[in-house]
Amino acid sequence: MGAIITLSILGIILLYLGLYNAKKALLPVTLVGLVVAIGFYLALWNEAANPIFSGMVVFDHLAITFSILCLVITGLILLLSKEYFRSISENIAEYYTLILFSLVGALLVNCYHNFAMLFIGIEIMSVALYILVGIRKTDIASNEASLKYFLMGAFSTGFLLFGITLMYGASGTFDLAGLRNYVNGVTTVSPLFYGGILLMLCGLCFKIGAAPFHFWTPDVYDGAPILITSFMSTVVKIACFVGFLRLFSTVLVPLDTFWTPVLLTIVIITLFTGNITALMQSSFKRMMAYSSISHAGYMLFAIVAVTINSGSSILVYATAYGLASVIAFGALILVKRRTGSDHFESFNGLAKHDPWLAIVLTVAMLSLAGIPLTAGFIGKFMMFNQAMSAINVTLLVFAAINAAVGVYYYLHVVVNMYFKDPAEEFGKGLDISVNYRVVLTIAALLTIVLGIYPDFILSFL
Amino acid sequence: MSVFYLVAFLAIFFALMTIFTKNPVHSVLYLVITFFTLSIHYILLNAQFLAVVNFIVYMGAIMVLFLFVLMLLNLNAETEPMKSNLVKIMGAIAGMCLIATLLGAFRVIEPSNLIVQGDAEVGLVKNLGKVLFKEFLLPFEISSILLLTAMVGAVLLAKKEIRKA
Repeated sequence: MGAIITLSILGIILLYLGLYNAKKALLPVTLVGLVVAIGFYLALWNEAANPIFSGMVVFDHLAITFSILCLVITGLILLLSKEYFRSISENIAEYYTLILFSLVGALLVNCYHNFAMLFIGIEIMSVALYILVGIRKTDIASNEASLKYFLMGAFSTGFLLFGITLMYGASGTFDLAGLRNYVNGVTTVSPLFYGGILLMLCGLCFKIGAAPFHFWTPDVYDGAPILITSFMSTVVKIACFVGFLRLFSTVLVPLDTFWTPVLLTIVIITLFTGNITALMQSSFKRMMAYSSISHAGYMLFAIVAVTINSGSSILVYATAYGLASVIAFGALILVKRRTGSDHFESFNGLAKHDPWLAIVLTVAMLSLAGIPLTAGFIGKFMMFNQAMSAINVTLLVFAAINAAVGVYYYLHVVVNMYFKDPAEEFGKGLDISVNYRVVLTIAALLTIVLGIYPDFILSFL
Repeated sequence: MSVFYLVAFLAIFFALMTIFTKNPVHSVLYLVITFFTLSIHYILLNAQFLAVVNFIVYMGAIMVLFLFVLMLLNLNAETEPMKSNLVKIMGAIAGMCLIATLLGAFRVIEPSNLIVQGDAEVGLVKNLGKVLFKEFLLPFEISSILLLTAMVGAVLLAKKEIRKA
């Protein structure tokens, strides 16, 4: 709880710093706040995980590990933000504040133990994002993305709420422990409860961007500023997955004959839509948007075949995906700053100008594609293992086909960087600030370390 | 019970009228009546606080907002978005699926069910306040962050950007 309070207060402090024009202090203060928040979570590690505040939140190991992951990724993204926000607009303090509030929402979703907290967490996260997506007020694409996200988000929140209501109507409680007792205790579960499961599934699938609720994803990811896209596709998505997992693993396991076929269909549709449309993109940013849909599909494996290991599988996959996304979007910012376009062609010949950036980006792409010796491979391996344990051979076959398709479009970038000549001669190489070099190097190193020695993170859960 | 059926009929009737009228302003006015019938439902359920909030916020504030937006949008036949038949058919199928799900869920409603009845007094302001400040204190406090976020965002989006790149 200390971490959530720290970050909330930090947001308000940042607003004051912005008011008094202390723009230099914004980033250091934010980072210190993030470190303090991580410290609070670490201090909770060895304590007994009981629901607190009348059963509203619970800080178990699942919540703590994912919260720390969210904090670390936010820290990396904010380090990249130093010059980026300044180029968009004047009101930098407000952007930091909104990102922090969105992070607070994500942390609440990570640790909810009552539907009231789930709803408030998702709403805080989303409302801050609606604004962040529309930051560039003069840009039509940004406006469209913001409006689209807002309308679709409001609609899906309606589904989520209606689902919660139906579950409440059947069981008379919002509390996860109460709901679990209800599912285990009654002889026949009320049809209201089943209706509630379906509607909540719709609402949550929208938030993680799984097909057929994915139509907003490409436009919103494309229209939003690149850093916000990277925040959305990592921190927000990870938090929603934790919410999803917590609901299904604590409450709904006894009813799995009901929801497994539904979720299985969603996973298969998600994998195919994500990968096949990603193949056809010419813009790197849109490709990343569609590939994030397919990654949501892979992460859903752990929920379709929910076991005791689901948490650690999602943790590894989410870490790998988050680190690789930060590198990919960071590199895209650098490349776009020079060429002004986010098409695959702007990566042509990057290896000659800046071998370091090319290598880092290659590591990220290999990790996303799931090539061995990167974190992405371990993540995919664990997900496939989950599917195997539930003897879902069909799912496994589909997943293998999709992984192969994925390799093609991720390597497209790598091929462009190393084997194509740049269209025109650039006057000089990229001037990359120290922040970018540090963040991207750290992320790439972590990706490789995790790929070689995954126990390092597996021991947490 | 007869009051309930009358009000329920009116609610559904006006909700349908909201969708079927061509004129957007009429549509909004029908929506006002629909909200009003919902307020009566809340009173019938002994949820006075909800009834008052619904009356003030939805019928008052949100309706004015609706009318303002309609005025600013300047709707007419030319600006009406294209609606292809495919979209209509897909919408109809999706809507039917939702209705089927909900009917399936509602088929066993028993009004005498203890959980459905719950505490009949909980809707009174005093009892609601007790629940809100005891069990639901944390979500109540945290929703302040939600409101602050919305406020910061509204100011940020509405403010004029002075600097030109």
